[in-house]
Amino acid sequence: MKRRLTAVLICTVLAAGILAGCGNSEDKKGEDEKQGTTAQDGEKVFNYGTTAYGVEMGNTGLNPHDNYSGWSAVRYGVGETLFKFTEHMELEPWLAESYEQVDEYTVKITLKDNIMFTSGRKLDGQAVKECLEDLVAVHDRAPGDLKIKEITADGLTVTITSEEKVPALLNYLSDPYGAIIDMEYGVTEDKNVAGTGPFIAEHVSDTEISLRKNPEYWGGEVKMDSVNVKEIIDGDTLTMALQSGEIDAAQGLPYASLPLFQENESYKVSSVNTSRVFFAQLNYDTPALQDDRVRKAIAMGIDKEGFTAGLLGGNGTPASGIFPSNFSFGNESVKAPEYNPEEGKKLLEEAGYTDTDGDGYADKGGEPLVIRWLTYPGRQELPLLAESAQATLKEMGIKVEVNNTANQQDFLDKGEWDIYASAFVTAPTGDPEYFFTTHCLKDSAKNRGKYYNEELEALETQLHGEFDPAKRGELAVKMQQILLDDGGFIFASHLKMSFAMKANVTGFEAHPSDYYEITANLDYE
Amino acid sequence: MKKYIAKRLLQLIPILLGITLLSFALMHSASGDAVDILEANRGGVLSEEAKAKAREELGLDKPFLEQYAVWMKQVLTGDMGKSYVSGKPVFSTFVHKLPATIALTIASVLVTILLSVPLGVLAAVKQNRFLDYLIRFLSFIGNSLPNFFVSLLLIYFFALKLGWFPVMGNAQGWKSIILPTLTLAIAMASKYTRQVRASVLEELNKEYVTGARARGVREGRILYFSVLKSSMLTIVTLLALSIGSLLGGTAIVESIFMWDGVGKMAVDAITMRDYPVIQAYVIWMAVIYVAVNLITDILYHYLDPRIRLGQEGAA
Repeated sequence: MKRRLTAVLICTVLAAGILAGCGNSEDKKGEDEKQGTTAQDGEKVFNYGTTAYGVEMGNTGLNPHDNYSGWSAVRYGVGETLFKFTEHMELEPWLAESYEQVDEYTVKITLKDNIMFTSGRKLDGQAVKECLEDLVAVHDRAPGDLKIKEITADGLTVTITSEEKVPALLNYLSDPYGAIIDMEYGVTEDKNVAGTGPFIAEHVSDTEISLRKNPEYWGGEVKMDSVNVKEIIDGDTLTMALQSGEIDAAQGLPYASLPLFQENESYKVSSVNTSRVFFAQLNYDTPALQDDRVRKAIAMGIDKEGFTAGLLGGNGTPASGIFPSNFSFGNESVKAPEYNPEEGKKLLEEAGYTDTDGDGYADKGGEPLVIRWLTYPGRQELPLLAESAQATLKEMGIKVEVNNTANQQDFLDKGEWDIYASAFVTAPTGDPEYFFTTHCLKDSAKNRGKYYNEELEALETQLHGEFDPAKRGELAVKMQQILLDDGGFIFASHLKMSFAMKANVTGFEAHPSDYYEITANLDYE
Repeated sequence: MKKYIAKRLLQLIPILLGITLLSFALMHSASGDAVDILEANRGGVLSEEAKAKAREELGLDKPFLEQYAVWMKQVLTGDMGKSYVSGKPVFSTFVHKLPATIALTIASVLVTILLSVPLGVLAAVKQNRFLDYLIRFLSFIGNSLPNFFVSLLLIYFFALKLGWFPVMGNAQGWKSIILPTLTLAIAMASKYTRQVRASVLEELNKEYVTGARARGVREGRILYFSVLKSSMLTIVTLLALSIGSLLGGTAIVESIFMWDGVGKMAVDAITMRDYPVIQAYVIWMAVIYVAVNLITDILYHYLDPRIRLGQEGAA
């Protein structure tokens, strides 16, 4: 009797557990938790989970002069730059009212008159001068970008003189490291600062930032009372935190989770193409890749449409060139080889590669055409790109050996690779020159494949001295086309960045620059 | 006894020297340093001059042994240095994260004991009966499931479906610690339940139990005052190892539940080649294991009269 009772008891407990687990969550959770605002005491609170804040990103804290923390200052509405990017990645004044290019070395910026730091100090030329002087004194990248010789301030104007011509100076000043903070207030021990933005940080740690609205914000009424930004590393936790209502919006959801929110009317998703490109560099030290026809054949063997639509589930856009479509010198302005395995096969045959032994792979002089494809797992898209290329190139008779390793630098240093696929933000300041100077010139730090084109070098010299944005764009188009025609680089796709949020969240949109997230317009319907 | 403790503490010095040197060497043998990794993580480019300047500031341009000597000198003067990545003092970062790890360790060890001891004894007493089979089956399942999977299941059922506990973080007091605790305790309790069962069964077959039964001592008294006490030696050894490992943090559980402890910090530091943080962590782990083993040995003296008397006899 006692045994039977125990068995019945255990079965009841197990059944209750299973039923509870299988029950619809709507039964257990109130509609307000799924849909409503995260309100406490009538205040509007926005809880935001992101994978993009944290120690490994180098952006903890809010001090723009430290590492990449300026990204956090601007993203989370604490700091603002003199100019900002539009959705087409063109510059527009932000803290600045206007500017005047005095000569090729000097720019005079006039500031808006009604702006206060959250410390209570008025924003003027002197405050900007103090901030920029500290930036170039302590930051790792800013001095090399800005090349500032002298800054002078007079009332609401600030005049910057460069050591050499810097046509993209205003773009660089719009990098988040250029967020203007009150240097008299300084930087607190927990890396908090006084900016001019719609929010004031109350608590800053390596994993979380708590913000309150700035009641004196110069740009109008701030609609959200407070915001909590939380680092959430694990994609499943991030997904379930949004589903459970613990957070109101999420950035960095795994691709597999996005459909849960795209196909559910309780949520909405804001997506945008960014200039982060997944691309391949070809190694000119590899004898087979010194042949133009082989490089072109490989470019024709990469199915970008299939990769983005299939493996990325639509969360990427096929790339033609370096920059996405929202740039005036973006995808549509250049022509890349189309996916065409048949045509690629013919090119290989012209280059002397045919399958003589019937093993399915092309060979020449008894040597099979084998490509060592090096990549790393840090970005979830890269191993998928390697798999996709391996499958499609096989159809053309090219054997791809994938080396997906976190120690990619070792293999690069030893030259043990033929194609290196990586991810890179090609235009962080909206200007096209950056990618060329870092990857495509004879002396570029990331020109791993030893690519060289004399015409490209000459165009870069021209680009470096050109101040007119339209002409810079035209030059960028020409230079991209040279890269594509040479086949030294293959651009596979641009990252589509997505924010998922509760359906009643407004004013929270993904921006192509990836800089602006929390703004004064953030609100609940 | 005091002599014994002093001797064990002295042994800590060569241990610390050895493992800090070894970990320093291992980290330096890995490709890239903190400057390279940070650059790669952001997907941008730093000029060679900027990288050289950063390396000079961090002392990464110096030879390996010199870097180790500089670090050791700092440590001996009580300065654990600053994190290469966050720029914050290593000691204060460590101290800030430690309470969360200690809280999770204590909670999961308590739950483990509360689950495994009664279940293990019950399984032993009901050997080869339904309850024994059921407990063994459940412990088999608990042992087989990896931590990350258990944590996701727990979040799914108890946070998402039932809404009883938060998905992550530690903002909701005691409620926040339940799911990470259960994640750790389920695996440990499953292992210990089997150990307790085996240990209790072994004791139950000994002659002193037969003797006690023959003298008419009640079964409960035999079990709780004699058998369980004798079985405790095995459990204490296992628990000591588990406590050591838990105090070192549990990176996966901490990452999933966003529990801000030292485990995640250590994994981040290794990924980022943040040598000062890694070294501090290595020291912490060495101290924990020496301390926990020492406490275990002292407990043996009290739990097992043979050890205590044997030593006294020899003296």
